[in-house]
Amino acid sequence: MSRLDDAFREALRRQEPPDGFAERVMARIQARPEQGGAWAGLLAAFQRPRLRWATALAAAALAVGAVEYRNERERRVEGERAKEQVMLALRITGGKLRLVQARVQRIGYAPRER
Amino acid sequence: MPDRADFEGIVREHQSMVFSIAYHFLHDRPAAEELAQDVFLRLYKSFGALESAEHLTRWLRRVTTNRCIDYCRRSKLMPRIGLEQVPEPSSPSRPPDPMLSRTLRQLVASLPGNWRALVILKYQEEMETEEIARALDMPVGTVKSQLSRALDFLREKASRVLGETE
Repeated sequence: MSRLDDAFREALRRQEPPDGFAERVMARIQARPEQGGAWAGLLAAFQRPRLRWATALAAAALAVGAVEYRNERERRVEGERAKEQVMLALRITGGKLRLVQARVQRIGYAPRER
Repeated sequence: MPDRADFEGIVREHQSMVFSIAYHFLHDRPAAEELAQDVFLRLYKSFGALESAEHLTRWLRRVTTNRCIDYCRRSKLMPRIGLEQVPEPSSPSRPPDPMLSRTLRQLVASLPGNWRALVILKYQEEMETEEIARALDMPVGTVKSQLSRALDFLREKASRVLGETE
């Protein structure tokens, strides 16, 4: 047995996986998509080290998107309401102007007393 | 399907073997953990077909190794580390030395996939050529010749690291 063999044996000796490995395996077994639907699938994705961050980012992006959509919709509704109020104000103003114009015309055509 | 508590015990018993094969193969801890988890999920589904503890160990070694080779093929990570990236310390050092071990692991990770599998099973699992051949379902002669070439290559490269001539 050479020194090199020992060095390779030492370099390639078994290592323990990260803490909680067995628990994560059992959680994935518990949450297999065929047993629990979409939420179980999402939960299972969270147990996979490489997908954990991607899933978290996707969930965060979805949440931000939902909030943005709601804000945008509220802004649009408020804009529509303001537009309706302006239109109403213009209609009222227009009506008043027509009334004033009619009175002015009546005064202009009325016979003058001597 | 096995009992959950029993299966968790089996996972704990074999997790270091499965994880270490994957880690020494892929040289990437998150990828190794994910691959090892996948192997245990597959074990859970196939558990009924296994006949004994020895059969279970053989099954885990074979499936983990094949998954590692498939992973590298799919990811085009073969070899994951180029030989030019493996440092060669000029001064000789004596094992166990963390830096030397890391260099040797990088050297192993730079091997082509089949060679890497054979070397990991030989040194990590301390398996004989015949056992490796059975585990990987390969002819003994093929395992012998590939292992011999892989070891010659590693010895030549590593002898400079160790500062020894064999």
